[in-house]
Amino acid sequence: MIGLRRALIALAAAAAAAGAGAVALLLTSDAVPNRGLSAFCAVFISWSFVGVGLFAWWRRPHNRFGALMTAVGFAYLLGALRASSVPVLFILGYILGSLGLAVLAHMLLAYPTGRLQGGLDRIVVAGGYLVTTLGSVPIALFWNPDRDLRGTSCDGCPTNPFLVADRIEVARALEIADQAVAAVFAVGLVWLLLRRVREARGVQRGELAPVLWTGLVAGFVLTVLVAGLAVGAPVELVDAVDFITLIALATVPYAFLFGLLRSRLGRAGAVAELVARLGEAPRRSALRDALAEALDDATLQVVFWLPDPGAHVDSDGRPVAVPPDDGRAVTPVERDGRRVGAILHDPALLEESGLVRAAGAAAALALDNERLEAELRARVEELRASRTRLVEAGFDERRRVERDLHDGAQQRLVALSLTLGMARSAVAADPPRAGELLTGAQAQLDQALAELRELARGIHPAVLTDHGLKAALQALAGRAPLPVELTGTPDRRLPAAVESAAYFVVAEGLTNVAKYAHASHATVSVARENGRALVEVADDGVGGADPARGTGLRGLADRVAALDGRLAVRSDLGTGTVLRAEIPVP
Amino acid sequence: MPSRVLIVDDHPSFRASARLLLESEGYAVVGEAPDGHSALRLAGELAPDIVLLDVHLPDLDGFAVAARLAAWHDPPDVVLTSSRDPSDFGPLVARSGARGFVAKGELSGPALAAVVR
Repeated sequence: MIGLRRALIALAAAAAAAGAGAVALLLTSDAVPNRGLSAFCAVFISWSFVGVGLFAWWRRPHNRFGALMTAVGFAYLLGALRASSVPVLFILGYILGSLGLAVLAHMLLAYPTGRLQGGLDRIVVAGGYLVTTLGSVPIALFWNPDRDLRGTSCDGCPTNPFLVADRIEVARALEIADQAVAAVFAVGLVWLLLRRVREARGVQRGELAPVLWTGLVAGFVLTVLVAGLAVGAPVELVDAVDFITLIALATVPYAFLFGLLRSRLGRAGAVAELVARLGEAPRRSALRDALAEALDDATLQVVFWLPDPGAHVDSDGRPVAVPPDDGRAVTPVERDGRRVGAILHDPALLEESGLVRAAGAAAALALDNERLEAELRARVEELRASRTRLVEAGFDERRRVERDLHDGAQQRLVALSLTLGMARSAVAADPPRAGELLTGAQAQLDQALAELRELARGIHPAVLTDHGLKAALQALAGRAPLPVELTGTPDRRLPAAVESAAYFVVAEGLTNVAKYAHASHATVSVARENGRALVEVADDGVGGADPARGTGLRGLADRVAALDGRLAVRSDLGTGTVLRAEIPVP
Repeated sequence: MPSRVLIVDDHPSFRASARLLLESEGYAVVGEAPDGHSALRLAGELAPDIVLLDVHLPDLDGFAVAARLAAWHDPPDVVLTSSRDPSDFGPLVARSGARGFVAKGELSGPALAAVVR
């Protein structure tokens, strides 16, 4: 920053010196009519561009626009060399006198980003540079300054060191051709600027319009001037248009300042209004609307940060991707150093990121309030979803029980009935066969009973109801296919719903350990702490369990959430898995 | 000549028990099918006299299989069976084109003969 500052100060000093030199040249020249006015115009226009250009450069160092505007100011002074009595300087002034106009065209087309946007822009700018540099070189080869070249003859001018042949008619023809080509590029400039004016919208319009319009006027009078020169309009008319061109040129830097000021004042006012509006009666989306209006961005969206799931949500509590994938920019909003949300907005506003932050700061309190509401809505939304899942899980469970009954115990009993029927038929004729059939019937009955027991336990374990959590967990541990250590259970009974949830957490946990963990050992504990039941199932297996896998854990999480509790799985590769539930005990 | 029976049920244990029972009571069990499509195929190949058809099958249900068989030229006698009570199915049994219904637990040679007659 300090380096930039020094460079800019050096440039300002250089511009002051160059301006003073130009004034000295113009005032002491015999060849210049209206010496005073010419000197004033030259230095005023040059310093205006350099001054405003350096300001823009300083404010937005990464935007080339400021540098371009400064360059216009310097290039404009080259014309003053024509007042020099040194022949080489004089003819260089003649050749490069209009270079400033080409830089101006470049600057206008590169506005506001400092970069040209398309092929047409580049063609017009390159053409402008060619016409205003090399374009006058052929003329200089044939022009003796003593002779009249459409108002550019001069008495008392030095000789032309580049003169090859004193052929004024050739010089005139070349000059007309040069002006005609310049006119074509000037028309191109006007057309591109018109297009730019039409396309500017939203956030940009207020800031861009003044420069684009004054640039358009300057381009237009310039076109008239060059075309007038090309077709040989009367000198008085050309002089008048020339004067208008000077005025139009001089207004461009100030139009830029005006646009900057207007958009800034406008937005500062909008932020002030925003603060006032936020005090009004709260309404859903009022904050978004107020911010959208203050920043003049209809696409603006306000999102809220929920620390608990660690995600952004909209005002309805639905999750929102941040940063968004549609290319909009993100400005975070904090309150007392705490993240409360973010504003998603048009990237064009990044040029004024300070403003978006100011608006965000003004809105932080309201945003924090809306965040709490959004959090509530997100919670309600989650509750609604989990309630639906619970109801569906209930239906699924009943279907499963019906299926298990039908495919299991019922089929066993059917087979048993058929076997008994056959045994009855055989009992008189073939007693040994009847005995075999009855043995088979006994086995079928045992299987049916075992299946019914398993099913009943899955619906609700009777031992839990009758003898409490400790006995039920001991039974679970005893049936598990690996050693399970029960390290703690509460001394007193917990509410039935909590006991039931804790039981199924352990049951599902041990089922998963047996199925996936490749563990040698598991521990189970249930503790009552600070009004909560803490249930934990830990194993020494391979870890790497994915909590999103399967429906078992999901259903379990819903079951725990229905009691306002939460379920967490920690399962790093190689360190085993810990399934942990916290359930409030009312 | 004994009646030739095709048993259609998705539970192997029932198919085995029913085969044992019916064969001990003088029927010839010519085939077993675990689902509706193989039931239709085997009925075409084996031309059984009786198809003992479970209502609940994994693909087509028993009523649909019975209706297709009933549309055949010289169709077999279809006897629906289920471990559920026939009243669970309302008018579906009567509409299916089957000759009748025997509860699985009550299956026997005479029960089958009473339906087919």
